[in-house]
Amino acid sequence: MTWTIRIRILYQAFFLGLFVWFLARLSAGDERQFPYALFHHADPLSAGALPLGAGTLPGALLWGIALILVTLVLGRAFCGWICPLGTLQQLASWFLSPRTKRESLVANRWRPWFALKTYLLVALLVGAVFGGLQMGLLDPLSLLARGLSSGLWPLLPGGRAVPAGWLSAVLLLAIIIASRYLPRLFCRALCPLGAFLGLFARFSIFRIGRGENACSDCRLCSFACQGADEPLGSHRVAECHVCLNCLPRCPEGALSYSFLPALATPPTRPDLSRRALVGTALSAAVIAPVLRVSGGGRDAARPGLIRPPGALGEKEFLSRCVKCALCQQTCPTGALQPAIGEAGVEGFWTPVVVPRRGGCEFACTRCGEVCPTGAIEPLAAARKTGYDGRPPVRIGTGFIDRGRCLPWAMQIPCIVCEEVCPTDPKAIWFDEVEEPLRGAAGTAGTVRLKHPRIEPSRCVGCGLCENKCPVGEEAAVRVTSIGETRDPLNRMLLGT
Amino acid sequence: MTDLPTRDPYEEKPTRREMAARLVSTGVAAAAVGGGALFFHDRRHLEAAAPEIPDWRVPRSDAAPRGAAARGADPAANVRRAVAALGGMEAFVKKGESVLIKPNAGWDRLPEQAANTDPKVVAELVRLCKRAGAKRVVVADLSVNDPVRSMTRSGLLEAARSAGAEVLYGKSLKLVPASLAGSSAGLEVIDLLFSCQRVINVPIVKHHGLSRATVGMKNWMGVLGRGRNRLHQGIDRAVAELGATFRPTLTVVDATRVLLSNGPQGGSLSDVKLVNAVAAGTDPVLCEAWGVTQMGLDPSSLGFITEAEKRGLGRRDLSLMRDLGTA
Repeated sequence: MTWTIRIRILYQAFFLGLFVWFLARLSAGDERQFPYALFHHADPLSAGALPLGAGTLPGALLWGIALILVTLVLGRAFCGWICPLGTLQQLASWFLSPRTKRESLVANRWRPWFALKTYLLVALLVGAVFGGLQMGLLDPLSLLARGLSSGLWPLLPGGRAVPAGWLSAVLLLAIIIASRYLPRLFCRALCPLGAFLGLFARFSIFRIGRGENACSDCRLCSFACQGADEPLGSHRVAECHVCLNCLPRCPEGALSYSFLPALATPPTRPDLSRRALVGTALSAAVIAPVLRVSGGGRDAARPGLIRPPGALGEKEFLSRCVKCALCQQTCPTGALQPAIGEAGVEGFWTPVVVPRRGGCEFACTRCGEVCPTGAIEPLAAARKTGYDGRPPVRIGTGFIDRGRCLPWAMQIPCIVCEEVCPTDPKAIWFDEVEEPLRGAAGTAGTVRLKHPRIEPSRCVGCGLCENKCPVGEEAAVRVTSIGETRDPLNRMLLGT
Repeated sequence: MTDLPTRDPYEEKPTRREMAARLVSTGVAAAAVGGGALFFHDRRHLEAAAPEIPDWRVPRSDAAPRGAAARGADPAANVRRAVAALGGMEAFVKKGESVLIKPNAGWDRLPEQAANTDPKVVAELVRLCKRAGAKRVVVADLSVNDPVRSMTRSGLLEAARSAGAEVLYGKSLKLVPASLAGSSAGLEVIDLLFSCQRVINVPIVKHHGLSRATVGMKNWMGVLGRGRNRLHQGIDRAVAELGATFRPTLTVVDATRVLLSNGPQGGSLSDVKLVNAVAAGTDPVLCEAWGVTQMGLDPSSLGFITEAEKRGLGRRDLSLMRDLGTA
């Protein structure tokens, strides 16, 4: 192992460790202001795709632009040196696979269907133009964060259940295990981020060069090639992860990674068919609007879709959310969950508040602080609570179900919802009544009861009442999104 | 990359020309990425705030009559006489202008049931606007019942079309965001309010279960889309708010048939009284007051009228309404 490879492994270990450590700190509720969204800020695919639909490049995504510029100089070094999902796959292919040297040469050969990732990229970018940002489904940074956060974190001691998490976990595990059969299968064939960087790697100044006079065509360079880019002969620079595994393998010392080396002969077959590209773009242009009418948050009738405080209006929100799950990871109560059907097909895996799993803590603003793209705007606690003098940020309104409420329906005293209501004055108040009790024949005697009532203009929809309600599975007080600050059309009260 | 200068196959190093070309192409790509980033960086792209509703009134001298009412069996003649007393349609609609006529076409009811504005009144207004030189006359309403049934069975579709108007309803109306100061931050209004220079409000006088009567100011409900169902929570204030927000060129009140109970939808012919009167005016509060007196109500007993007067939207003094008598 040469020093270049050792340094690369150190980089990979560092970034994988940092990625997991950030998630762990978020989950632990660390008070320190680490740049938790660093990886997602530096996501070149977010930087490239977000402006297409949102029309803006939110501040910190400039780091993603910086990574594109790095790619123009060094090639896809991000894939080989930084990407934690790439590292996990590389680990798996090294650790799990019983491949012989000969089998490795076959496994690391380029295959025409690796072009699939570029078609996926085109579909996702075209979809973003037509208003549906779906790249978060396959973006490796979102995919890994989501797989760890909502898929595997619940397994840890004290982990919280995440009903939609299993699919994230299965996707992540499938990607890792697939590397046992074909190294970095996801990177090579599916990763839209890799395909995106590949567009820029074509211009890279530093790249693998081959001294043709010295090369004896032994093909040993392909033995551990991560990108299946075939450094021998027609080197596919857009596929190369700059892992540099090929350099020490060459017995003749014919390979180098250097400034403007002589160009290899270009691949004989075109990687992409123009007809298929146009077809992909057209299909995406049709499918994106179809997803939009799938009955999600853009629909006036949207039961169960409560967005986190500070979330933008649904259209703006969907053009920015990259489904990275950081907000869910940092939510201290487990209120934020990945949506299954609440937000429609296009909103799959976007964050929703599920009060039965957790209430939205009154002065907590962590989800907005960590959101890498501004889909959830950062709020000051005084702004969220309304202590700055303006109306508080509402995410919905609570409704009492008198048929299930203990004092209302069963004459059993209970005050829990009022007790936990955090607003000032409380949105939940009591109407004290004296009611006849059941006797041996008809009624006998009376009981004094406190009937909880909700004053809707005070309610912020935090869901603490629903969360703490002692009426099990389906609470006797429930929150829906009506009255939410982010949508002026989703209101019920005059004057709001 | 393929169209770069070809190089000597025995030469391991690229030529200086080739190196320069490659560096330039990398530089161009970097500049494109950087330029794109600069262009899009923190360029806010949130939806624009709701535009202000325009004022469609024409300036009038203080001596000009504020309203005129005509009686007679022919609704069209009543319209002609009332408008003529205000100086004729030419005083309000100039050559080449676009005019929106807003009747009440809210219900799937026949004209005899007096839930919608009389089609003869609307058709006559269309003709007057056309004669005054209007380029485009649109009759539009967002009905409560199915828009096709409401527009057709009210007789408004056929009457307005044959008089030369464009009739827009249901899906042919485009909605844009709007807000109503003090009452609602989130509403939708029809975009015709922004594309027409003149707007004529043509309500029918009806009983209303909540506000007791509905005339012109409440008729503005029909230019609102989503969000209008909230306004009933404080009806008098909200109706006055509508009157303050929408300031029409002219209000023409149809009291040909007046619905006295079970409004605003009605249905029973026994609730309908034949009054055979039409009033036109530039003072919406005066028109409102005249309208409710046709039902036998005292204007000062109605919260939305006193609220509107308090806001300075007009005067409820009925002596300001010129009575043109029966033709």
